[in-house]
Amino acid sequence: MTIGWLYPDLMSTYGDRGNVIVLEKRCLWRGIECIVKKIFVNDAPEVVLSCDLFMMGGAQDLQQEIVNRDLSGKKGELLLKKLNDGVPGLLVCGAYQFLGKYYKAADGTIIKGLSFFDMYTAHPGTQVDRCIGNIIIEWKGKQLVGFENHGGRTHIADKSQTFAKVIKGYGNNGTDQTEGMIYKNVIGTYLHGPILPKNPEVADFLIEKALEKKFTKSIELTSLDNKLESKAKSVIIRRLQTPHRE
Amino acid sequence: MNLLTILVAKVAGFIIKLLSLGAGSTWPGHIALAINPRIARDILSTNKIKVVLVVGTNGKTTTAKLLRVILEKNGHRVIKNQEGANLLNGITSALVNNATLNGKIDADVAIFEVDENMLPIVSTEITPTAVILLNLFRDQLDRYGEVNSISAKWQNVLKKLPDTTQIFINGDDPQLFYIGSKLNQKVNYFGLSNKHFTLSEIPHDVDSVYCPVCGKRLDYKGISYSHLGDFSCSACGFKRKNVVDFEDSKFPTPLLGRYNLYNRNAAIIAAKEVFLIPDELIAKSLGDFSPAYGRQEKIKYKDKTVFMLLSKNPVGFNQSIETVIENFDIKKNNIVLVLNDRIPDGTDVSWIWDVEFDKLHEFASKIFISGDRVYDMALRIRYGLDHDIRIENSHDRLSFKDVIIYEDLKKCLDHAVSSSTPSNDCIILATYTGMLEARKILVGRKIM
Repeated sequence: MTIGWLYPDLMSTYGDRGNVIVLEKRCLWRGIECIVKKIFVNDAPEVVLSCDLFMMGGAQDLQQEIVNRDLSGKKGELLLKKLNDGVPGLLVCGAYQFLGKYYKAADGTIIKGLSFFDMYTAHPGTQVDRCIGNIIIEWKGKQLVGFENHGGRTHIADKSQTFAKVIKGYGNNGTDQTEGMIYKNVIGTYLHGPILPKNPEVADFLIEKALEKKFTKSIELTSLDNKLESKAKSVIIRRLQTPHRE
Repeated sequence: MNLLTILVAKVAGFIIKLLSLGAGSTWPGHIALAINPRIARDILSTNKIKVVLVVGTNGKTTTAKLLRVILEKNGHRVIKNQEGANLLNGITSALVNNATLNGKIDADVAIFEVDENMLPIVSTEITPTAVILLNLFRDQLDRYGEVNSISAKWQNVLKKLPDTTQIFINGDDPQLFYIGSKLNQKVNYFGLSNKHFTLSEIPHDVDSVYCPVCGKRLDYKGISYSHLGDFSCSACGFKRKNVVDFEDSKFPTPLLGRYNLYNRNAAIIAAKEVFLIPDELIAKSLGDFSPAYGRQEKIKYKDKTVFMLLSKNPVGFNQSIETVIENFDIKKNNIVLVLNDRIPDGTDVSWIWDVEFDKLHEFASKIFISGDRVYDMALRIRYGLDHDIRIENSHDRLSFKDVIIYEDLKKCLDHAVSSSTPSNDCIILATYTGMLEARKILVGRKIM
């Protein structure tokens, strides 16, 4: 299996590398051969064709601009084709926003996105507080934890494409209790932390989808010892639900 | 007029300290500023004090201490702010606490560490004689925001300072070098020599490897760590130049690690250029330097030596790990990792995934883990292994392989120290409040 890590040097401000490490190790631990392909600016567009799963993290504005330029041509086209074909992806924060229709910056400038997700993001202006803090969400009846830190508010067109429900925190926009988006097999989310280490069920979901797509048959992954993951998650949930600390 | 302000602030500070109500290092300044927002400026104007501001993500406390030691040993009387009290209230506290009631201070130099975000506010109240810019790395994005926005702030602030202010900049940091290239003032660049640029590939923990002029990816002849190195841009010609290092000279290196060579060089260049102290006197005064709290500090605990390295962000942690691996024997020492997520540490711990912890499995005798976010760190360490592993559960700890996980820091330290062999050190790498807590356990009291 090949994990395509989009722009590890530009789109990785918040430890999102952890997602790649977790995907890779959870494959290796199960004896699934796995390589990580780092995709940089100016790499040939065709590099995305060999990938079975994509990960892209968040970034600073300047860096996001460089990436926008790189994805505006053929590379972006090929990436969209893969995602539309059902190849899974995990797109965090800035990358999630960029896969939407557009991003309206704090100063009103509109930055066009790749329009994979039917949603848009608007920054309410620098005088409005950012959405910062630990977050709990519910996905397929399970609680997930992470840390969000974003200025933009995302509004999704079709609520049935919501990735998860906000239990505590802001999520897409702080008002409608939606967090992220899932379309085809691609997850867009605001969760850093990074998301996968403490939520291995999401990692395994992505791996499973990637393998099913690659080998066109249904796959059931062998189970791993998730004791440490569960402990890390439950400690945070307990802490967030005890009022005195946060 | 300020007599009353200073009096009230001093008395209030005294009472607060006496009743242990809060930090004596920030409250007097806080109160004085509430009465007279211009108090810092007023006090400085009645005294002949050269003010040096030290700014940067990592190394402020150590650099300030190095410079202070050099100056004090050469006849200067130096005041400083308490470490961590690096906002305007902390700096004003230092002035108020050191002033007599009529505002006189018995010192000729003030060295202030300044918070990255506070340089604009501090420098409107204080006109510095010199500013030292150490480095700029990602740190506490939940609090500081991103590197580019801080760099833009610094640029604006420095531009407005008088032409006589002396600026010292780490010329190996492209973003900081760019700031320097735009200034009217005389800028001195310090850095390292080629022999320290041992990395040929750009590591993961970088923030500024794209040309600040034209946006193209920079080329490096060599890198010392993170994005610090001998850089140039093939598109627009932007490149590092005129960087001074003190490599072949007789200056001692009082602390381990590459990052401390930068701190040392920053202190030396300021001592030379601002205070005109001759090289041999600088060298002499660095001979018996003792580190600041928790920054490579050695502490005796239960007849063992504990070596403590503050490690508060990806670059800091990577440098600590590198330093430990370069200077200690393999498989001899226990390593303790303490990860907290309080306000001074940063409440987002995502950054640990940007740190190269995997080498510790090879290096450490055993790895001990504790702190508020003990399980986040444990997961990070677990994912450094190539095989799935069973997690063992006993009443007060979890463990796997040579990794032992405690929620309770004291239990963790006691186990780590008691199981280290007599001749070897126990090495603690801790975030800011983790360092303070560990230190309190080891020496039996809090430092602030």
